[in-house]
Amino acid sequence: MVDLGLKTLLFDKVRFLITVSGVAFAVTLVLVQGGLFVGLLDNSTITIEKLGADLWITSKNSPNLDFVHQFPDSNLYRARSVPGISRADNLILSFMQVALPTGAEETTIVYAMQDFSRWGVPWELEAGSLDGLESGSFVAFDESASKRFGPFEVGDYREVNGHRFRVVGKTRGAKSFTTTPLAFMDFHRAQELQPDLLSGKTSYIVVKLAPDADPAAVKAELERRLPYNDVYTAKAWAERSRDYWVANTGIGFNAFLTVFLGCLVGVVVVAQTLYTSTMEHLKEFGTVKAIGGSNLDIYRMLGQQASIAAVVGFALGYVPAELLKPVIAGAGLKLIIRPELTAVVFVGTVVLCLLSAIVSFRKVKNIDPALVFRT
Amino acid sequence: MFTVVAEDVTKTFREGRETVAVLKGASLHVEAGEVVALEGPSGSGKTTFLSILGCLLSATSGHVVIAGEKVDQARPSACQAVRRRHIGFVFQQFNLFPALTAAENVEYALNLKGVDGTAAKAQARELLERVGMADRMRFLPRDLSGGQKQRVAIARALVASPSVILADEPTANLDASVATQVLELFGELARREQRSLLIVTHDPRVRHVADRVVGIADGRIAA
Repeated sequence: MVDLGLKTLLFDKVRFLITVSGVAFAVTLVLVQGGLFVGLLDNSTITIEKLGADLWITSKNSPNLDFVHQFPDSNLYRARSVPGISRADNLILSFMQVALPTGAEETTIVYAMQDFSRWGVPWELEAGSLDGLESGSFVAFDESASKRFGPFEVGDYREVNGHRFRVVGKTRGAKSFTTTPLAFMDFHRAQELQPDLLSGKTSYIVVKLAPDADPAAVKAELERRLPYNDVYTAKAWAERSRDYWVANTGIGFNAFLTVFLGCLVGVVVVAQTLYTSTMEHLKEFGTVKAIGGSNLDIYRMLGQQASIAAVVGFALGYVPAELLKPVIAGAGLKLIIRPELTAVVFVGTVVLCLLSAIVSFRKVKNIDPALVFRT
Repeated sequence: MFTVVAEDVTKTFREGRETVAVLKGASLHVEAGEVVALEGPSGSGKTTFLSILGCLLSATSGHVVIAGEKVDQARPSACQAVRRRHIGFVFQQFNLFPALTAAENVEYALNLKGVDGTAAKAQARELLERVGMADRMRFLPRDLSGGQKQRVAIARALVASPSVILADEPTANLDASVATQVLELFGELARREQRSLLIVTHDPRVRHVADRVVGIADGRIAA
């Protein structure tokens, strides 16, 4: 079978290049924006996922992981008394100030526990160790802090809230939604640093369930015993934290808008080039009808051209998006292109390109048959 | 036996608030193997009449029978079926697909008529050989002369052995010697293969190959 659609599409190489470039640009835009969005949301809950707690006890109505109110750290004992819990610990999360060698100050988000090793922290260590944080004024920073704090090494000293700390560890991959660098220190040391806010207080109680425990029953019992707290499963708490950023900060709308604009660019480019191409080939389509073809034959041809533009455009748009990953990482951001995102963008590209061909379908349907006789 | 029967065909078009009658009761009968030249001034309704006979356009009234099949104007799919089975077209501008080679142009027409694969390739080759284009099969239209393009168009019109070939000014874009060759080829094929050939033309040379010349003026056929 002679493939008229494919041959016609490839015959005008410049037009084909313009079409697929438009699609590729839109695909890159959508993948990068979508990937950055996923990366930011991933940052916002990475500690929830990596800590491995089954349940999170928070202050009442805490909106998300970073914006939390403190509550009495003695609540821990009530939590520990609930059957079905294998381990429960206090966790402080608090914004503190780091004095830099330049004299400037930067904010850090301090995570403080009595024993991080029981909770799989750090999940990635670049240098040093988090063991023995409680034995002195020791702190660990994530390597991403070097972007804001300047270069630092294990053994260096930094001032946190006016107290001198020795850097004993350098972690990797511990990030926050706002890109504020993360620091790790001992629970009591953190309380000492902010006595007004943290004395006798904690931000969270993290809970690990016993292997045979019923999560719903334990959660219900915790809620009964701690009526002034909320209890979330790790999944629910992560979702709440993500939803906060998406709904309350406009980032969700921003991402949607960029993805929408990307789609619009792709649709307009494909629709415009297909329509122009259809107009230029109108006489050929009339000829197809005259020599025995139907509207359906022509629709199929246009659909095939749109699909090819979509597939080639997607492939050409996907490659730069992948290549941008290290560049974006260099800027301290994460570009996460998950298979689900790739699949959605691919299907979306094909569907939108096919939809854009509909404009041309209408033109073909109304072709004046006598057009073939005109000079 | 008549392969083309057009009886009292009318065609009106709406132009704004006005209704314009282009055909006002045109009738024509063409026998198998007959070559008929249809002549008339611009605006006389030649192309409209050709479009109706070719089932590209529906008549406002009257009836058309092609190769014994009454053309049901109200059913586009039926018109398409008649066109596919019984009619071949040759156009003034050749209307070849620029992205396809000569062989592919003919093969594609075969594909549309249900012939695929090696059978389509073999038939395309045979048809191009019949019009003397065996050595240009792999050429794109842009690499062919006007006469060669028209030969390819004739080969395409012969696909699936149509009973009727409708040609619209087939020599208008050809120089004198090539036009004569093309007309001779037309006449020979029509008579040898018993096809009805209706040529709309201004070219007086067509009269030499036509069995009959009919005129059209003001939407009516004049003998």
